[in-house]
Amino acid sequence: MTRPLLSLANIEKRFGELRAVNGVTLDIHENEFFALLGASGSGKTTLLRMLAGFEIPSSGSILLDGRDISQVPPNHRPVNLMFQSYALFPHMSVAQNIAYGLEMERLPRSEINQRVDEMLSTIQLAHLAERKPHQLSGGQQQRVALGRALVKRPRLLLLDEPLGALDKKLRGEMQLELKHIQNTFGITFIVVTHDQEEALVMADRIAILKDGALLQCGSPRDIYEYPIDRFAADFIGIMNFLPSRVDAGALSAADGSRISALLPGDLKSGDNVLAAVRPERLRLGAADAENCLSGQIRAMAYHGLDLHLHLDTPLSSQPLMVRLTADAAEGHPFAVGEKVTVGWSAHDTRVFTV
Amino acid sequence: MTDRKPIYLMTPALAWLTAFMVVPCLLILALAFFQRGTYGGIVYELSLDNIAQVFDPLYGRIFLKSAGIAALAATIAVVIGYAAAYAIASMPRRHQPILLFFAVLPFWSNYLVRTYAWIVLLNREGLIVSFTRAVGLEGELPQMLYTETAVVIGLVYNYLPFVILACYAPLSRLNPEIHEASRDLGASEWTTFRRVTLPMTVPGIATGFVFVFVLSIGNFVTPALLGGGQFQMIGNLIYDQFLTSNDWPFGAALSMILIAIMMGLLTLQTFASEKASGQQRSEKVDD
Repeated sequence: MTRPLLSLANIEKRFGELRAVNGVTLDIHENEFFALLGASGSGKTTLLRMLAGFEIPSSGSILLDGRDISQVPPNHRPVNLMFQSYALFPHMSVAQNIAYGLEMERLPRSEINQRVDEMLSTIQLAHLAERKPHQLSGGQQQRVALGRALVKRPRLLLLDEPLGALDKKLRGEMQLELKHIQNTFGITFIVVTHDQEEALVMADRIAILKDGALLQCGSPRDIYEYPIDRFAADFIGIMNFLPSRVDAGALSAADGSRISALLPGDLKSGDNVLAAVRPERLRLGAADAENCLSGQIRAMAYHGLDLHLHLDTPLSSQPLMVRLTADAAEGHPFAVGEKVTVGWSAHDTRVFTV
Repeated sequence: MTDRKPIYLMTPALAWLTAFMVVPCLLILALAFFQRGTYGGIVYELSLDNIAQVFDPLYGRIFLKSAGIAALAATIAVVIGYAAAYAIASMPRRHQPILLFFAVLPFWSNYLVRTYAWIVLLNREGLIVSFTRAVGLEGELPQMLYTETAVVIGLVYNYLPFVILACYAPLSRLNPEIHEASRDLGASEWTTFRRVTLPMTVPGIATGFVFVFVLSIGNFVTPALLGGGQFQMIGNLIYDQFLTSNDWPFGAALSMILIAIMMGLLTLQTFASEKASGQQRSEKVDD
C-alpha cells in the first residue's frame, strides 16, 4: 500500500485533568471518505479541531503527506473545515464568501473570479451569488459553506456534523450529493458525525470513537456486521441482546434454552455473555433454523418499507425486535397478543463479553 | 380582545416625557422665534433674527469648533474603548462580567467630582507634574489644564464606559466559529480582524461614536472646568445666553439647531444599527 495521506500516531489531547482524546492512531488514505463516529464527549470534535489546527495535541504526531503539521497554525495548513454552524461571513455575499479563501492565497483576480464561478455552478447557486447568507435557506447556506472550503482545493476537507442542521429529507439528498462531490473532486473527506446512519451511507471507512479512544475502524459493512464489542453493536443500528452463559461449547439463555452461535475460542464454560442478533436477521416461522423460539407480539411499528414487531419471549426481559420487510409481512394481519415463531441461523449470532 | 397589547402600561412614561421633555422643547422652539427685550426678558413679536444670527460666522465657528472637539473625543474614545471591549470579549466568559463592571465603575461617581479630579491631575502643581519631577524629568511641562487637550481628555474619560459597553455588545455576540473560519481559509489574525471582526462590529462602533459625539458637542461642564473659559463650546454659549446675557430667544435658537444636529445623527445611527442587527437576527434564526 502507498503512503497514507494522513497518519495520526498516538494522538493525545488533555484539557487539565480531562483526556479528551486518548492515544488515537489512525491512517487515512488519499481519496477516502472517512467518518469519525461517536456520541458527544467521545473526542471526535477535539480530534477534528486538531486536524484543522485549532487545537494542538498534547502528544503524538499528525503527518500530512509525511510532514508533521501538528504545530502548524490553521491558516498554513492545506486543510479546510466546514463548520457545523457553517460560520458564513454575514456581511459578505455568497460570491465574496467563496472568494475569501482564494484572496488569502493572493491569486490573481481573474483566476479567483473563474474559480468562484466554477464553484457557484458546482453547488448550483450561481443565481444567488450576490445574496447575503441570511437571505438563503439552511440547505443553500450549507452549500455555500461547502463551496467556500472546497474552492481552496485542500488536501483534506473536514466536515463537522455537515448535515446536522438539515431536515430529514434534505439530509438524505445531501448525503448522496456529498459523496458525489467527493468523488468528482477527488479530495479526501473526513466527516465527524454522531449519526450512525449518515456514517454508514456516506463513508468508505468508519472509525468509532468512545471516551477519546478509537474503538473500531473498518468499512461500514464490517462495523455493522461485526461490531467489536457490545457498545459498538448497540451504537450502530439496532441489536437484540440475549443474556446467556457459555455451556459446553454452546450458549444457554436465561430460561435454559440453547442458543446456537459460532463461539469465539477464548470463552470458557460458565462465562456470562451476551448473545446478539440484528432484527432483520430474524425470520418469521423459521422452524428449521438453528435458533428458533416463539413469542407474543407486544407492539408493532409500521414504517412503510418494513414492519417492526416487538416480541415478549422467555429469553430476555427486553422485548425481541423483529424487522420484517414489506414483502415478508404481506398477507399477515398481525395483531398484538398473537403468538409467532421466529428463527435465525447460528452464524448471525454475535457473542459479546459482558 | 385577547390579543390587545398592554399599551396603557406606557402611559406613565409617555406622560412624564410629554410634560418634562416634549412641552419644554416646544416652548424652546417657540421662544426661538421671539425677540429679546432691551433689558432682557422676552418681547412676543415674531422674528427670524435669532435663527439668522446662529448662522453668523462668529457662532458658526463655535459650532465647528465644538463639532471638531466632539469628533476628536469620540474618535479617541472609540479607539481606546474598542480595544478594551475586544480584550474583555476575548477573556473567558466567566471573567467578562467582572471586567465590564470595572470598566463602568467610574459611572457610579459624580460627573463633577470626576471632572474635578482631572483638575487635580493636570494643574501646574498637580500630580502629573509632581510625578515627572519625582522621576527626575527635567524641563518645564507645557500648560496642561485649561487647554483644548484637557477638555478632550475630560470628555474621553467621562464617556469611555459608554463606548466600551457599546462595542462589547456586538463583539461578545460574534460566533467564535466565524473567526475560526477566517483563519481556516488562510487569513492571519490581523486580516481576520480587518476583514471579518471589524466590519461585523461596526454598529457598536457607530453607536459608541454617536453617543460620545452627541454628549460632547452639547457639554458645558467639562469645557467650563477643564477649558477654563479659554474658549467656548456651543454648550457654554447656550448656558451664557440663558444665565448671563439673558437673551433667551437666541439661546433657544442655538439649542434648536444643536438638537436638530443631534437628532439627525441619532436617526442615522439608529438606521445603521437596525439594518445590521436585522441581519444578525436572521443569522441567529437560521442557525
